[in-house]
Amino acid sequence: MPKDVIPVVVSADPGTYEDAHVHAIYDDIADHFSSTRYKPWPIIAEFLSEIPTGWMGLDAGTGNGKYLSLPPHPPGKIWSIGLDRSINLLRLARSAGGVTREVVLGNVLDYCWRKGCFDFAISIATIHHLTTSERRRVAVQRLLEAVSPNHGRVLIYVWAIEQDGLSKRSIPTNGECSTSGQDVLVPWVSSDREQNATNAHNGVARVYNRYYHMFAKGELIDLVKGAALASGLELGPQPGGETGARGVEIVREGWERSNYYIELRLWQVR
Amino acid sequence: MVRLITHNLLACHARGCTSNNFPLRFSDAQIETRKADFNADFIRAFMPKLEWSALVDAAKQLGDTSLPLEAPDMLDEEFLKNLHRVLLEIHIEEGSMTCPNCNHRYPISNGIPNMLLAEDEIA
Ligand SMILES: [Zn+2]
Repeated sequence: MPKDVIPVVVSADPGTYEDAHVHAIYDDIADHFSSTRYKPWPIIAEFLSEIPTGWMGLDAGTGNGKYLSLPPHPPGKIWSIGLDRSINLLRLARSAGGVTREVVLGNVLDYCWRKGCFDFAISIATIHHLTTSERRRVAVQRLLEAVSPNHGRVLIYVWAIEQDGLSKRSIPTNGECSTSGQDVLVPWVSSDREQNATNAHNGVARVYNRYYHMFAKGELIDLVKGAALASGLELGPQPGGETGARGVEIVREGWERSNYYIELRLWQVR
Repeated sequence: MVRLITHNLLACHARGCTSNNFPLRFSDAQIETRKADFNADFIRAFMPKLEWSALVDAAKQLGDTSLPLEAPDMLDEEFLKNLHRVLLEIHIEEGSMTCPNCNHRYPISNGIPNMLLAEDEIA
């Protein structure tokens, strides 16, 4: 079975392509996928543990909802609402951690909330499933819109071309992907444990090719810059300057375990 | 799940629907009540972010008239416990939510609200 990723050029309609190569696949593999996704990444757990009591969060692309239950103590200190495009992942997410969670079926490109009603937003391993840089920028804009212009905090994780040594995957590199990233298909081999009979034909495992955009170094920062500009936000720390100025500051960014992350904080001069 | 804590944040996003698109109105709601961990500090800190009249109105649509029309200034334990119950212990399992502006209907099935729009309905 192929373990490596397959370079791809997407020429189809982006929405149709994402339906077939992301959403439909997660609906089919939800149970098996979820059984492999239970360990929170350290920087995300740390980010969530530092959120003040009483804050409300959006988890855009919640998957099986593993971050809806953080921090575990004290219970109910903060709340997160999980948004995802896969109904079968949401069915798992709504009881993540053995507690009833709030989940909503929706697309991270749409905006179905009161403006700025969240205090924080996270989007983990989600934006890399969008097939164009414009769509990825819109998804970041949605996060910037979702949180309070005064104190909103945002954390984004996406898959990196730069993989760590423990990763089983080898990444194709051509010269161009060093700045603009690389579109790939990542095979998911359904296991025997898969209960959905349509997934296994006479014991033969089925391979699902999920679409990913693997980010180049610096590409996530550029994406955030583009989103801030398009949303009318200054980029940088809050100045002492004129009343009404709004912006977003990069608190930290980096690479962790084959992913790039960026943490943002919104500010407004009042 | 849809509980009133989430309902208080949801707004219609159909194409061209940008004002008077909140709060969505419940229809045919089937509700269940389930205990949730009470955290007084959360409720106290979260309360100022609520659209209070939308919450009072939505609770009323579900048959709960326990909330005062105006948000009180004094938040005693009894009030916080009741607000916790209204926000986090009433689950809308089935039914729908309708936009007050464009009448778009968002179904709720097995406790999960479907906020997806068809391609031609997206803003
Ligand atoms: Zn509407």
